[in-house]
Amino acid sequence: MEKVASLSEVLKEVETIASVGYREIGSYLPKGRQPIGFFCPYVPEELIYAAGGHPFRLMGTPIKISHAQAHLPPYCCHLVKSSLESLLQEELNFLKGVVFTHSCDSMLGLSDIWALQKPSPIHFNLMIPSHFDSQQSHVYLKAEVQRFKDFLDSHIGKITPQNLKVSIQLFNRIRESLKETYQRRRRDASQLPGKAFAQIIRAGYLMDRPRYLELLKELLGALEEKSDGNKDRVPIYVTGNMTHSDTWFSLIEEAGALIVQDDLCSGARTFRLAVREDLDPIEALTERYFNSYFCPTKYMGAQAHLESLLKDVQDSGAKGVIFLLYKYCEAHFFDYPDLKLALESKGIPTLLLEVEDPSYSIGQLKIRIQAFVEMLSPF
Amino acid sequence: MGRGGGEGQKDIMQENNQQPNPYRKIESTTAYRRLMTAYYFIAKKPSWFGKKVAWITSGGPVEPLYAMGVLPFYPENYGAMCGASRMSVPLCEAAEHKGYSRDLCSYALTDIGSSLTGKGPLGKLPKPDFLVCGNNICGTVIKWYEIQARAFQVPLFFFDTPFIHDEIQDHMLKYVQNQMKDYVTFLERQLNRSFSEKKFQKVITHSFEAIQLWKEILELTRRHPAPLTAFDAFIHMAPIVTLRGTRWAVWYYRKLKKEIEERVKKGVGAFAREEIRLIWDNIPIWYDIRNLSKILSSQGAVLVADTYTSAWALDHLDLNQPPLEGLSKAYATIHLNQGLQYKIKKMTNLIESYGAHGFIMHSNRS
Repeated sequence: MEKVASLSEVLKEVETIASVGYREIGSYLPKGRQPIGFFCPYVPEELIYAAGGHPFRLMGTPIKISHAQAHLPPYCCHLVKSSLESLLQEELNFLKGVVFTHSCDSMLGLSDIWALQKPSPIHFNLMIPSHFDSQQSHVYLKAEVQRFKDFLDSHIGKITPQNLKVSIQLFNRIRESLKETYQRRRRDASQLPGKAFAQIIRAGYLMDRPRYLELLKELLGALEEKSDGNKDRVPIYVTGNMTHSDTWFSLIEEAGALIVQDDLCSGARTFRLAVREDLDPIEALTERYFNSYFCPTKYMGAQAHLESLLKDVQDSGAKGVIFLLYKYCEAHFFDYPDLKLALESKGIPTLLLEVEDPSYSIGQLKIRIQAFVEMLSPF
Repeated sequence: MGRGGGEGQKDIMQENNQQPNPYRKIESTTAYRRLMTAYYFIAKKPSWFGKKVAWITSGGPVEPLYAMGVLPFYPENYGAMCGASRMSVPLCEAAEHKGYSRDLCSYALTDIGSSLTGKGPLGKLPKPDFLVCGNNICGTVIKWYEIQARAFQVPLFFFDTPFIHDEIQDHMLKYVQNQMKDYVTFLERQLNRSFSEKKFQKVITHSFEAIQLWKEILELTRRHPAPLTAFDAFIHMAPIVTLRGTRWAVWYYRKLKKEIEERVKKGVGAFAREEIRLIWDNIPIWYDIRNLSKILSSQGAVLVADTYTSAWALDHLDLNQPPLEGLSKAYATIHLNQGLQYKIKKMTNLIESYGAHGFIMHSNRS
């Protein structure tokens, strides 16, 4: 009889992957696949996987910045600074290649610095358009995705139609399982608190993907639901520029909140990237980016971010919104005032947490979160 | 260093600081001021001249606007003017009061603050009829122009030029060329009239000539002593940014070039003493150009070239191609839209061809 994994076993495996540092993670990665670093969901992981590579998302770590200061101004976001720091401290030697894309100016600069500091034959710049509201950009992006595929074919491994089909299915099933995990937490998060949840999300960008899908199914199978599982918790929406972090998720939920939805680019936002399985794969991998608003570094009309966030928050049933932003992120900070105004005009209170990693004012942030949650609490 | 050595060093510096290094004023500046005053007068009262106004980024394709009789206004140029007039701080503070982070681009904060308060060197600016945003200069402009599109409730045309890390791909160039056609369609819709190829050809010719003249002026500073400094170029670049495509820019740069060529003939430099030749990288410090110039010149140091003003000497403008296609490549391949290797090569060329002893890199949040 097949052993059913217990919840604690699943969470333990996830915690290990999510917590182990770059220097040790190599031994946890799937053998026989070249780990290829990437930063952003605009990079089709499906293609990297289909080529026989292992897509490994670089999401920033709380590393002390020292070497990177010789290459970057201080006003770069944590993801950029910490990633370069890790590279220069030789923590990323296990990576066999890296894929950058056109998200923000800092990332553009990082790609060139990276190429100078660690030249590699597997260094690709996927130059996605910044304009996602035009037919011209659709045509252009498809050509660029094809160019990426051709690069992977010649540098990692030939992408066969069958491999690509299986890869797309794998990532779609992962998104579906994650979506269900979000839904289960909305009903009862008592067995899956914020910290563990953030680790689950994070692990999905680091570990062997088929094993990750298995874990998610085991998790969903092991979760029990209590009708009052979320009693007295204040539903909160988290929006921002960072990937899921157990530090911030636990800080917010320990204050009595329940993060019912987010649009962080590691989490619920990626559900908008489901790939149609009835289209030509390259067309499907392209068209998904045009279906809904995804990232403030991209233009989809002047009102797109406001409309998208407002609708998502209202649909989630959240009582308040926390903006969780790494410092120095232009795209998010330019949008912040109008987003705040739009939410508050609909009676949805907001809180801005502008942070670095590690934060040296955790105590202060904790008090602010507690006050915000208390303000929203009906009790 | 002992007290004696320190005192000695101080004496030398004081001696150098006390040595006068007269600056030769550019005579054409009077004509420059008249020209720019006229431009800003029209920008302040466009309806008096029957003009529609488009706010456009400094690297945006302005030629189709002039061909359609639209007055382009440059919020970045206005931001520089606010900086030079030392009016930026309260404008940035007004933007910060609305919730914009202090860490954001100060050009954008200045412009947003000016729109919010109606203050600045020109006071309350007339509302634009539409906006044109090109991201070949940076990604910040996308957010900046989205904000203004929402604030003014006007249409925005976004001209997307993918960044070039190594070389421009064919499909990338095609993308930019197709957008140029969309741009013309957008303008026809906004202005409710057809695009005139004849007028456009005339504007392109003016644009090309102004760019050539500007390039030639900048190249004159290869001479020793440099007849013009980068600080002068920061000021005199305004027509190539704001009036590119008009006969006024051509007229002005012919005048300026003649004056500078005279200096070269006479072997006369912008400063009496030129002992150290330097290159400046990045945006000028608009609010303190004069002071910085004094600090450098007192030590016999002269800025002979820079990477900022030369960005408007569009290197790839090719009149042998159909105009829209020629423009597309020129705008897609400007200095700011190119990767590090390109920039390193350019700096190296500048240092070699201008005989520079060193360079100053300006790091700023803008």
